[in-house]
Amino acid sequence: MRTIVPVIVAFLAGFVMIVSFFFNPERTLLGRIESEVLVWVTIVGGFTLLLGVVSITRVNWQAVRTMKEGWGYNLLTLLSIFVMAIPAMLPASWSQLFGDAEGSIYDWLFFHVDYPMMATMFAMLAFYIASAAYRAFRARNPESTLLLVTATLVMLWRIPMGEAFLIQVGDTLLFGYNLPESINTYIMNGANLAVQRGILIGAALGAASMSLRIMLGIERTYMGKG
Amino acid sequence: MNFWDKLGALDRRWIYLLVALSVIFPLIVPMSFKISITPEARQLFEAVDALPDSSVVMLTFDYYPSTVAETEPMATAALHHLFRKDCKVVTMTTIPLGGPSMAERVTRTIAREYNKDYGVDFVNLGYKANWVAVLKGMGNSIEAIYPADNSGAPLSELPLMATVKNYDDVSFIFVVADNDIVQNWVSIVNAQYGTPMGAGVTAVGAPKYYAFVGSGQLTGLLGGMKGAAEYELLADARGLAEKGMGMQSLAHLVIILMVIVGNIAFFAGRWSQKGKVR
Amino acid sequence: MLRHLRIRFLLTLLLTLVADYQFAVAQTSDDIFRVDRINALITFVLFSIAILLYIKWAKEGKPLFIRKIAGLDAVEEAVGRATEMGKSVLFIPGIQEIDDIETIAGISILGRVAKITAQYDTPLVVPVRYPMVLAAGQEVVEQAYIEMGKRDSYNRDIVRYVAGEQFAFTATVNGMMMRDRPAANIYMGAFFAESLLLAETGNAAGSIQIAGTARPEQLPFFIAACDYTLMGEELYAASAYLSHEPLMLGGLKGQDLMKVLIIVSIIIGIVLMTLGFGDAFRNLFEAV
Repeated sequence: MRTIVPVIVAFLAGFVMIVSFFFNPERTLLGRIESEVLVWVTIVGGFTLLLGVVSITRVNWQAVRTMKEGWGYNLLTLLSIFVMAIPAMLPASWSQLFGDAEGSIYDWLFFHVDYPMMATMFAMLAFYIASAAYRAFRARNPESTLLLVTATLVMLWRIPMGEAFLIQVGDTLLFGYNLPESINTYIMNGANLAVQRGILIGAALGAASMSLRIMLGIERTYMGKG
Repeated sequence: MNFWDKLGALDRRWIYLLVALSVIFPLIVPMSFKISITPEARQLFEAVDALPDSSVVMLTFDYYPSTVAETEPMATAALHHLFRKDCKVVTMTTIPLGGPSMAERVTRTIAREYNKDYGVDFVNLGYKANWVAVLKGMGNSIEAIYPADNSGAPLSELPLMATVKNYDDVSFIFVVADNDIVQNWVSIVNAQYGTPMGAGVTAVGAPKYYAFVGSGQLTGLLGGMKGAAEYELLADARGLAEKGMGMQSLAHLVIILMVIVGNIAFFAGRWSQKGKVR
Repeated sequence: MLRHLRIRFLLTLLLTLVADYQFAVAQTSDDIFRVDRINALITFVLFSIAILLYIKWAKEGKPLFIRKIAGLDAVEEAVGRATEMGKSVLFIPGIQEIDDIETIAGISILGRVAKITAQYDTPLVVPVRYPMVLAAGQEVVEQAYIEMGKRDSYNRDIVRYVAGEQFAFTATVNGMMMRDRPAANIYMGAFFAESLLLAETGNAAGSIQIAGTARPEQLPFFIAACDYTLMGEELYAASAYLSHEPLMLGGLKGQDLMKVLIIVSIIIGIVLMTLGFGDAFRNLFEAV
């Protein structure tokens, strides 16, 4: 039962959505089922968020209770969840500090703690890309030389002074050839576009194949079966 | 280990220091540059500009707080453009982590400048779980997916939403995103409902979406902070992106410099090794 | 292939449907059946037939060739390196939820990698971002250890929940890498901005790194910082490649057949469009 029921549900859900795609929602029951299923999926999706909170709370509480290594961070996680969530769930009519509108605890914590922290972590990428580029962009062979030259041209193209430099190079050394325009045309809208399309098509086919295998019960990894 | 080998294996902290200095310097010494407009950015601007006044435009805040430096200036410039044209704006997000809050704050701040009224000129639908269901479901009925707006007001009580039932009533969708959701907007909404759309994405994601611009599925594309600066210039809404170009420029130049130095060290090291062998 | 009766029948059916398409387009949208989407139906039917046919042939024992994927061949080598050095293998099945196809692919590969680590008694560490991925990962790894007869070596903490937020997860895993210095890092699944943060830290820690993702925008970072990278659908092929299970291989070959059909269509389209007769052919692929 534990194995068969999820497989049947997966098959029926996938089959209904695929078949209903080909029927007019205004004229057929199948089409209307699709609209109804979509609404139900958003409702179920909301509950999975709740499930996520319950699971995170359970896992972190277990770490705190058993005083696992680094349990202080788990405690901090739990406190953060409840300090943000509880005031946000209380009615704003009780106090301006409740709810999630501007001026509430939730809003303040989000814009003064979460927002700058996330932006800072993302900003670290600038440092990491510099060190990765220093190490990896070496002209060891023709392919890596091509990568190096292309990356340099695109990096120059994306900044105003780099673009001005490229225009100058084109004017003085290449008889007025518009290098930035060529980069846009031949690299971004040429080679890059073609390669991205190829990868997108391949990845889409791979995803479709995996989806079909899940629907047919061939792939059961999502149930924890290898 | 000779000098060239040491240079080739330079401690990454020196590189971090150089990048940090390149970003800090323009904050102390402001720099401004002439920004050229790419065809893709111009295409997006012209598509929005060509919309009749009072058109309904859906603006999505599909980005996390981590990428605000690139994406928020796009959303801000788009709002200036749309409000100046008297377009009606419906905002929504597929990002649960702060998406509704960012949409609320940015939209209301700019709406105040143009004396726009909530519910009449703009509405924030907020977030609903499962983006596939949301994107597909709005094609049938927006109210079925969002019975209430972000603050809990029923959609039936909002005058703007009385005329916007599904994608048929939306003239254009302006997607501002930092993830794959753009692909899903194209494949679910543009492909199946035919709603024209354009996108503003992070620089990392931009190369992928040239394919959609090329096929006509996206009407225009903004890529990264440069794309945001271009739109700010076109929409005459100069802001943070234009100011950030100084930092981006210097950081790029530092990276290019490091790449050149790394290659010099690599080749010089190899030649000195060959010399030793001889 | 054309000698098979079923293949001929299906091709005839396909050609008939294609011929009917032009008439179908003229009908109104009030019909019960969305005839304007018949091209999608044909594609879906063809795709399903291809997958099922190859699965059937694979089950019958027909040899199916798959080209070498260097990154996957390196997995066993990486685990062997970790065993020799007495260090662990770090595996990250992406940072998305279990409902993401890439995460499912990552978990599937985790099962195969767990079998190898169980075989060599190499410590395995799998940090995850979501509780449901934790549950799926634990079951997959436990099953792998049981199948290899190493039930006693299995420990529930092999797969551990780390943090729910993207960069909190990244910061924690980076800390793990710098402290524990795993010999091999394997990243298989959906990654976003943290891809470079993870890969570069892994490089600084001296680990051999194998990555695989279907997100084209993250590939450059993995290629720059990792030793081997699986691109796009190679991630989805990995499970079939490592297991050599007929069901998986059949699905893979079916995908390849579809790709061949797409390539043929593109070539025909290019020729027809160049000669000025391509509009009708292009309309066949109009998505509605």
